[in-house]
Amino acid sequence: MITLAKVSKNYRIGEIMVQALVDVSLEAEQNEFLSIAGPSGSGKTTLLNLIGCIDRPDSGEIFIDWQAVSARNKKELALFRREKLGFVFQTFNLIPVLTAYENVSFVLSLLDIREPEIKARSMAMLREVGLEGKEDVLPGRLSGGQQQRVAIARALVKSPRIVLADEPTANLDSKTGEDILKLMERLNKKHNTMFIFSTHDPMVMDYAHRLVSLHDGRIVSDERRTK
Amino acid sequence: MKFLLRLAWKNLSRYRKRTIITAAALAVGLGAYIFMDSWILGIEKESERNLVWYETSSARALDDGYWEQKDRLPLKYTIDEPEAVLGWLAGKKIPAAPRTVFGGELIMHKDPFLEDGSLTLRVLAIDPVKDDTVFRLKETIEAGRYLEPGEEKILIGAWLAADLGAEVGYPLTVVTRTRDGYYQTIDVEIAGIFNCPNPAINKGTVFIPLDTADRYLEMNGAVTEINLRLPEREDADALAAALESDLAGVAPGLDVKSWRDLAEDYLAFAGMKKSASNIILILVFIIAAVGISNTMIMAINERTKELGMMRALGMKDSEIRLAFLLEAGGIGFIGAVMGVVLGVVLSYWIVSRGVDMGGLIGDMDIGYRVHGLFRGAWHPEAMVTAFIFGIVLTVLVSFLSTGRALRRGIADSLRYS
Repeated sequence: MITLAKVSKNYRIGEIMVQALVDVSLEAEQNEFLSIAGPSGSGKTTLLNLIGCIDRPDSGEIFIDWQAVSARNKKELALFRREKLGFVFQTFNLIPVLTAYENVSFVLSLLDIREPEIKARSMAMLREVGLEGKEDVLPGRLSGGQQQRVAIARALVKSPRIVLADEPTANLDSKTGEDILKLMERLNKKHNTMFIFSTHDPMVMDYAHRLVSLHDGRIVSDERRTK
Repeated sequence: MKFLLRLAWKNLSRYRKRTIITAAALAVGLGAYIFMDSWILGIEKESERNLVWYETSSARALDDGYWEQKDRLPLKYTIDEPEAVLGWLAGKKIPAAPRTVFGGELIMHKDPFLEDGSLTLRVLAIDPVKDDTVFRLKETIEAGRYLEPGEEKILIGAWLAADLGAEVGYPLTVVTRTRDGYYQTIDVEIAGIFNCPNPAINKGTVFIPLDTADRYLEMNGAVTEINLRLPEREDADALAAALESDLAGVAPGLDVKSWRDLAEDYLAFAGMKKSASNIILILVFIIAAVGISNTMIMAINERTKELGMMRALGMKDSEIRLAFLLEAGGIGFIGAVMGVVLGVVLSYWIVSRGVDMGGLIGDMDIGYRVHGLFRGAWHPEAMVTAFIFGIVLTVLVSFLSTGRALRRGIADSLRYS
């Protein structure tokens, strides 16, 4: 479970101080399929970064599984992200020199998992995202949709508590984007993993089970949908 | 660790062009260093050899009052019974050659010379029989012949001969003072012209037979010095000290100076030159370091986003730093191997062929006791140093660049483009 209590974040751009998030409070349950929506500059990425422990709020507190994020030091946060969080980025962010299999398996090799298990889990996850037969292909030789599938496999292979996806379909055509969303929805149900993804695309919002809308760094609506 | 090694290896082979450019920059720097070091070392070694072979010998026995006055070339402080010392040294199987050094004015007359003139220089009176057991002057005669005992002949250097327009058979007059201070004139004829690789000897020293000088200078058998040839690999300073102590029983009041003592001015000069050379070598290294820094900083900068992703996925900063250090170490290793190979090839050329600097520097005194062909010398220590330095430098540059990239926030790194 994630809880954000009156979280604010400001950025300084030159002389100007920009309020990226203002007193944001939010709670999300373990199996949610939650979309953070809003126009560019509304604070979506900042919110994901704070939940993902890759940035710290200026004020307020974030609790993950009832533990305050601020209580952890840099090293503890790295280990926390390693074990509990999965990330999917808008630009895929795969390591270009590693094959699809190696991109997925490397997150397991950071954990104390033995080689046979790493191989079994990585291959299974690549199969699950529809990339059987592409294990030895470098990212540069995969389509955008296939690269995002590798990124999703990388995020899920360690069975994280939460997967954070920043505009996961923004660089994909609408058909591929829809396929990716269906895949994420299926994995959310199958693995009981919380998915939080940001978007400004109405088609993507339609897939969300819960839609939190941001505007100028504030939550302006929070609606649950029945699917 | 296995993953980090694999990642480093894959990055090295994947970014082949960058790896080769960075390694090549390092290789050029290291190769230039090894080459320069080899060349300078070769010049220094040859200088020292030419100093011993033509100028100082390995060690020299002198009257203990001579050294203080040596610049005045006095005939007052002499070894009065050189035969006793030479006999003792012969018993010890130490080759030795007596010499008398004095100052004189060399006078040339128009016809056969182009015009009248004179110049002040150092005259060395040598024993034509014994001298080549210690020195190698005899091997450098390029016109005429070597001296014979008792004759009124002179040997002059090729540079001096060229300056004077002198040839074998030309007459010269040496005006000097006897041991007691009276003016004396020695008329001699040029027996031979030598071309010695030691420029100091070549341009400012003339040689006459020792017994001829003895007669004209009224030395009564005394000489100013006895030069010794000691085994090359032995410590000349220690041997000279031991000989001085042993000779005290044979001829009291003698100093024995090693070639290092005799060449203290040269060694001081060579030390200064060495410092200047080291500055050049440091500059070569700095250029290599700047080149490597530049490519490594660019390489790390262009992967800032990848670095941010790795951190977001939970890699610790130390693991990321290690991954980049392994990669840099790989580049350093490749560059160091290439640099040493390049250095060996260049050194082989300068050691075996050398560079003829004769045309460039002519008879200019550059301080070193070398002229003409300047060769290098093998210096394995410099190669090992360069190899280790190459790897350490690359890793250090990478360490600093990675540190700078890691100071950036993860969110900033992910946004970086």
